[in-house]
Amino acid sequence: MIALLIANSLALASLLIMLSSGLALIYGLRDVINFGHGALYMLGAYLGYSIALAGGFWLALLVSPLLLAGLGVAFEYGVLRPLRGRSHIEVALVTLGLGIVLGQALIFVYGGEARGVDAPTALAGSVRLFGLSYPLYRIFLITMGLGSCAALALWLRYSTSGLYVRAVSQDPSVARMMGVNADRLSLLVTSLSAAFAGVAGVLAGPYLSVDPGMDVTMIVNCLIIVVIGGTGSIAGAIVAALLFGFVQVAGSVFLPDLAALAPYVLLFVVLLIAPRGIGRGRAPA
Amino acid sequence: MSGGTSRAAARSGVLLGGGVSTRAPVTVLLAALIFALGAYAPTHFLSEFALRIGAGGLLLGILALSVAFLMSQAGLVALGAASVYGGVGYLFAICLSEWDLSPTAALLFAFVAVVVYSAALGALIVRTNPLAFMMLTLAAGEMISHSVMLEGLRDYTSGADGLVVNFKGAVFGMTSADFANATRFWPIAWSAAWGLGLAAFTVRRSRFGAILRAIRENEERMRFSGFGTYLPRLVAFVFVNAIAGVCGLLHVLNSGFVSPESLGLSVSTNALVAALIGGVAGSTGPIAGGVLFAVAQDQFGAHGFTQLLTGVAIVVFIVLLPRGVVGALLDAVRRSDRRGTG
Repeated sequence: MIALLIANSLALASLLIMLSSGLALIYGLRDVINFGHGALYMLGAYLGYSIALAGGFWLALLVSPLLLAGLGVAFEYGVLRPLRGRSHIEVALVTLGLGIVLGQALIFVYGGEARGVDAPTALAGSVRLFGLSYPLYRIFLITMGLGSCAALALWLRYSTSGLYVRAVSQDPSVARMMGVNADRLSLLVTSLSAAFAGVAGVLAGPYLSVDPGMDVTMIVNCLIIVVIGGTGSIAGAIVAALLFGFVQVAGSVFLPDLAALAPYVLLFVVLLIAPRGIGRGRAPA
Repeated sequence: MSGGTSRAAARSGVLLGGGVSTRAPVTVLLAALIFALGAYAPTHFLSEFALRIGAGGLLLGILALSVAFLMSQAGLVALGAASVYGGVGYLFAICLSEWDLSPTAALLFAFVAVVVYSAALGALIVRTNPLAFMMLTLAAGEMISHSVMLEGLRDYTSGADGLVVNFKGAVFGMTSADFANATRFWPIAWSAAWGLGLAAFTVRRSRFGAILRAIRENEERMRFSGFGTYLPRLVAFVFVNAIAGVCGLLHVLNSGFVSPESLGLSVSTNALVAALIGGVAGSTGPIAGGVLFAVAQDQFGAHGFTQLLTGVAIVVFIVLLPRGVVGALLDAVRRSDRRGTG
């Protein structure tokens, strides 16, 4: 029972980690919260749905993130750079507007009904682990989530570009003075976080469903996680995503009537105890 | 020549809201005339349908005013206007149907309840930074919109079906049918827009407004200068939610119906867009923006493109017309004025 609970919350948290760490990364470099991130995730999911119909799940898992990365490049050049001089709130509002446009365009193309995606045949069944049977696809999801989490941590910890990203996130002006090119990093980080949104979208298909409200649900969840984790803190976001997944899953098991409110209760409890979140985020300049 | 200069000075005095001007009594008289004309003239020559659109626009404008005030004075963007706007309607409906309160008592109870709610929420979230504030208001709004759909509250809220609000007797001398009548409702919406617009204007001009703007500019310096920065922002948050609450009550009286849609994120973003269209700086801008939005929605909304256009409008107005339509007009007037007097 407890093992199942933990496994299910890890599966949910895997998606949330991929999305909210992307949000935290962009925030660290640009001081901007991308309110359109939910729409990117939705686009990834619908692209994944279409590509999976045409060429199978694995192709979708490869192509959809690549397309999203391209969109991330466009987002960097078309939105973040031209609006560099504007206030962070204004840029955040622009991303909100763009997210609405993207979400509505997807509804216009795909219609309003939810769509299901089948897990690939290799991952279709269940396996017995520690004496209980568990869907193989969720194990794959957890592996992907924790794997990308580990990859992200290794990149940030051991590579030069990761070092620069941490430097800019900690103190933008000093990092720039030391010759770190924040624009180039931002291009990398924006496309990377859009690609992660694409991966999360494709992975969400067989696990949740592909539906028109998924962007708003996901962005609200991710924003809650980012706030709980301490705005801009990646480690905080990861811990918060795990906590969030657990509260959400435990809520739906023990208090199914009130499960929808569980994340908000968590949010306000954390805010009461630690107004700045649990991680060491940076206050905006 | 001297007449021209003093006129320009007086006009810029009125526009900038500075000092006592010789033109002030004229302006007040003119405003009173526009107010009186606007309250009754449209009911004689506009169709029922146009009045309905217009009143809807005014209500959206009032909601936009609440968003714009917080945005321009405190530098905080709230994405949860819908939770107060729709929430107060739900409370009103539940007071009537479940607790058998008189309509006036139900109105009062619902209003006080949302003010208390916003004070509690504000106490928790106004000390965060503006970006976190934006995220938190979005989360709180979604929480309220989820909670009316809870299975356990179905007896009170009827889930996705919404509630019909039909009260007996009269509120302020108007029956349920009077409120639903577009011709009778227009003067109420018009007066409310003026009253709340003036209230926002007065607060902006007060010492409190100056403190709010100073905190927006540099919170640390204000704290250093011995000002509390927490309470003013909390009061501002409660103030704008009270405006949104009045707006929600007027809406529910007029439509006679509350539904989960009234709590949706799209209501909050519509209010935000209306504020951006008109311009967030004053009181006229957001209200005019609400009316413009309602007219535009009537023109294009039939094809189901309203949300798409909302998204486009956010981007276009922030990037190209950050001061909104009214702000741009004022700028143009000021420019031509300067050219005229040399």
